[in-house]
Amino acid sequence: MKKRLLLLASLITILFIAACSSGDSDEANGTSNGNEADGITVWAWDPKFNIKALEIAEEAYKAENPDFQLNVIENAQDDIVQKLNTSLSSGTTKGLPNIVLIEDYRVKSFLEAYPDSFHEITGSIEVSDFTPYKIAATSIDDKNYGVPFDTGATGLYVRTDYLEEAGYTTEDLQDIDWNEYIEIGKKVKEVTGKKLLTNDHNDFGIIRVLIQSGGSWYTEEDGVTINITDNEPLKAAFKVYKELVDADLMAVHSDWNQLLEAINSGSVASIPTGNWFTPSIKAEESQSGNWAVVPIPSLPEVEGATHASNLGGSSWYVLNIDGKEEAVDFLTSTFGSNAAFYQDLVTEMGAVGTYIPAMEEGAYEISDDYFGGQEIYNDFTKWSEEIPEVNYGLHTYAIDDILIVAMQDYLNGGDLDKVLESAQKQAETQIK
Amino acid sequence: MNNFKQISIYIILIGASIISVFPFFFMIVSSTNKSVDVSGGKLIPGTNLLTNIQNLLSTVDIGQALLNSAIIAITTTVLALLVASLAGYGFEIYRSRAKDIVFNILLLSMMIPFAALMVPLFRMFGTISEIAPIIGIDTLASVVIPTITTAFLIFFFRQNTKMFPKELLEAGRIDGVSELGLFFRIYIPTMKTTYAAAAIITFMSSWNNYLWPLVVLQTPKNQTIPLLISSLGSSYSPDYGVIMLAIVIATLPTALIFFFLQKYFVAGMMGSIK
Repeated sequence: MKKRLLLLASLITILFIAACSSGDSDEANGTSNGNEADGITVWAWDPKFNIKALEIAEEAYKAENPDFQLNVIENAQDDIVQKLNTSLSSGTTKGLPNIVLIEDYRVKSFLEAYPDSFHEITGSIEVSDFTPYKIAATSIDDKNYGVPFDTGATGLYVRTDYLEEAGYTTEDLQDIDWNEYIEIGKKVKEVTGKKLLTNDHNDFGIIRVLIQSGGSWYTEEDGVTINITDNEPLKAAFKVYKELVDADLMAVHSDWNQLLEAINSGSVASIPTGNWFTPSIKAEESQSGNWAVVPIPSLPEVEGATHASNLGGSSWYVLNIDGKEEAVDFLTSTFGSNAAFYQDLVTEMGAVGTYIPAMEEGAYEISDDYFGGQEIYNDFTKWSEEIPEVNYGLHTYAIDDILIVAMQDYLNGGDLDKVLESAQKQAETQIK
Repeated sequence: MNNFKQISIYIILIGASIISVFPFFFMIVSSTNKSVDVSGGKLIPGTNLLTNIQNLLSTVDIGQALLNSAIIAITTTVLALLVASLAGYGFEIYRSRAKDIVFNILLLSMMIPFAALMVPLFRMFGTISEIAPIIGIDTLASVVIPTITTAFLIFFFRQNTKMFPKELLEAGRIDGVSELGLFFRIYIPTMKTTYAAAAIITFMSSWNNYLWPLVVLQTPKNQTIPLLISSLGSSYSPDYGVIMLAIVIATLPTALIFFFLQKYFVAGMMGSIK
């Protein structure tokens, strides 16, 4: 009996020590904790995109600071949001990184909810060096918090071969509005049988692109007041969306996987999206030469409507823990002030930044054979300077969810004004 | 007529089996295909398995993640079984006036979603980290500790103890076995099937546990298998073939354990209904 108890007790002890020990060795290496780590810890999410950019930045920074050490921790974007929320709301700084990548749409809610947890970097970067919309997205009341990473500048990726079959060239797509584009789409569908674009009814990216191109957002400039009922660009965007659905020009996908499939299999003729989508298009090598990028169509009947907008895009934020000075120095000497570094970003991985000196020095004048020799990066940066500045506010994704339901009501024949009115009410009750 | 009934039953059963087996089939087939073919929904095995294996091994340390998951799941299972069965045994065998009240409070704790406990729990571990870093944030122990006792498992053991023949204990007492001896030498051997079922349930939930390890583990070295798979899918252009291969590898241990203990599992579950 005693033997058996002893055996059990020792088994448990061994297992427990085994469980603890791997944590223990981590402590010894000092990599487990942003506070005590040698070097700088960063959370980011895409090994082929933002993590690769970090590696390039590390290399550039190490040339001057050979002792510098960067620990990149890869997590899915949603996971980073979850981890950051838990850590910050529990008030425990243990385990936090020095630098975290946050999407522009989400960052305001973090900065407002945990103002002391983020390190203000005002003065560390030259604000006028970056495109204005990006600075607006990463600052609160003239206080800068983020070092810009990539732009989500949008374009309309089109299949030139399908357009040609229907008798159009990319010239016909310059400076048009969505109504004109829908007419072109009808013709393309008639001739080639391909739908104009594809969308996920549960992803409102396209609506966000449209309203920002019209200089508007879900909230007013203060970032809090809900702006739905009297939002003309939003109304116009809803009408465009319904028109696309009613004319059967919109294919439907339900996740990222299906979107890639629709594009790579050639089942749609175009896709309006952020420039970061370029590598996904180029993944299908057989379509080389059949693609072009043009400015997105403007919103019809909206005053001040532009052809430039933004989808996604993210920036680096420094957390207010030990090591912040070193973190700021790393970011400002690379992403914050190094034009040559931006050239590496675009040549090695196609990431387009918002750093104006890099644009002026011709970093983006690279012709791409996949797009018939078009200098797409140069075009994107040109368009990025025209993106209307809006305040993304605190509740972008919460309002997204409400409007997704509203859109279904509208598509099912509801009256637009009434649908938006009830969405406005719902948003107001839900968000304080 | 009878024949017709038989045939229709079989058709329904075959249909249901195909539906439940299809995801596994797709997972295994996809692990041998290129990412583009996976998005295209290709259902025939491809030739890309070796490339996928190479890509998987070169991008992530799946061996370390498997080891971490195994350490966590095995430790949790052993400790949880011991603690929960002792508690369930105690609740059923011993008499106390407060017993039912305590048990009801315990059951109520099942109603609190984990998301609500997460922030306070993280705070607690933040404090623990300062006192005893080896069981604090970012250690495997910090994943194990909160999951050792679950109200469900205690409830499960108590329900199963109801049909345990108590005369055995009395016989043991007469023969002079100590109270702990009764538990270890009479109760545990008699309740083997219950333990097997509980082991499968605990192992699987620990192996697949996502939210808490996600929050509390920080360094890649401590990453568990579900976290690894999630980060594989984080890219803007994910390689679905590699992801499917990682999922196959992650599924194997639980599948093996289930096949191995299946007989006991069914018996154990049946017991809890009787």
